[in-house]
Amino acid sequence: MTAEPLDILLTFARLGLVSFGGANLPEIERVLVEQKGWITPQLLANGFALGQVMPGPNMLAMTHYGFAAGGWLGAFAATLGFYGPTALLSAAAMTAWQRLSRWRWLPSLRSALLPFGAGVLLAGVLVLARGSIHSPAGALIAAASFALLWRTCVNAALIVVGAAVLGAVLGL
Amino acid sequence: MSAPTTPAASAAPATPTPPPTPAGLLRLFVGVALVGIGGGLPAHTRRALTTRGWMTDAEFAEAYTLAQLTPGPNAVNLAAMIGARLLGGGGAALAVVGILTPGLIAMLTVTVFTLGLPGGLPPAVQSGLRGAACAALGVMLTAALPVLKVTAGIRFGPTLAVITFLLLAVLRADLLLVLAGTVIVGLILHRPRSGE
Repeated sequence: MTAEPLDILLTFARLGLVSFGGANLPEIERVLVEQKGWITPQLLANGFALGQVMPGPNMLAMTHYGFAAGGWLGAFAATLGFYGPTALLSAAAMTAWQRLSRWRWLPSLRSALLPFGAGVLLAGVLVLARGSIHSPAGALIAAASFALLWRTCVNAALIVVGAAVLGAVLGL
Repeated sequence: MSAPTTPAASAAPATPTPPPTPAGLLRLFVGVALVGIGGGLPAHTRRALTTRGWMTDAEFAEAYTLAQLTPGPNAVNLAAMIGARLLGGGGAALAVVGILTPGLIAMLTVTVFTLGLPGGLPPAVQSGLRGAACAALGVMLTAALPVLKVTAGIRFGPTLAVITFLLLAVLRADLLLVLAGTVIVGLILHRPRSGE
């Protein structure tokens, strides 16, 4: 099954433009898994995990999903679509910033967007939990990783790699 | 964050530093991506910029706040904004290419290996990936905490966050409708008072 590169480009552009404050996992799951059928829940979780140990932004998982949907062209279409329009918008917003910073509705907009972002993040945790936790041992690894990250300053990539080794040894 | 810093007072660095060049900007963001394995990209970006004297803390805080408001991945938005501020449109493109290239090469390499295998993944690798995915859930939770904390301080913030969560996770509502609804309600609740 190979999807059209243009379809991939437009789909991922839309996903980028509706991500606020991080990964919009609920929408990614709804579109890529349920609507388009390009990836499985397992691949969604795998790609997200891989993104944590890659240099640079964590959402390089999009490249992984794009490759699954349409090979090399799909990978590039997904990356360009996800990062291109939002980067353009950001650069434009920066150049308009001086005017925007005195705009009296700006704090209101921030207060309106943040609760939405928090709700999206919470829903994302649920999506990820459904895709990745299949056993009590998995739940324990997730809880332990969270505790370690929260309480210590161990690098997140090290914890993810450690959990991968543990998973392989336990045969999760 | 609320310390009284005036951008004008900190605009002139004590020692003259070489101005940003296209090659230097590209190198800076490739470096940020390489040290930023596991997250924390904005913090690395801030360090790299202030040690070079290319941006003050106040200017960085401005860009960082703005990056939260625009859609898309924050670290990449931040790179585009800083590139645009330092060297215009070309600078924005270079910054984005710089921050994405190392991970793109690494991700494509791993992807071709894991997805290209004809019989699927070997059991040990799939088990390892399952373990990594569980840890990634922990990472996701810690990334959500600061946003939840700020939201808790906003009037009606927790209520709107819970409603958003229920609409998306339980009722699987369309995201754009939820976004439009919560933003309109939020804007009405937080409209600027006349006379401010």
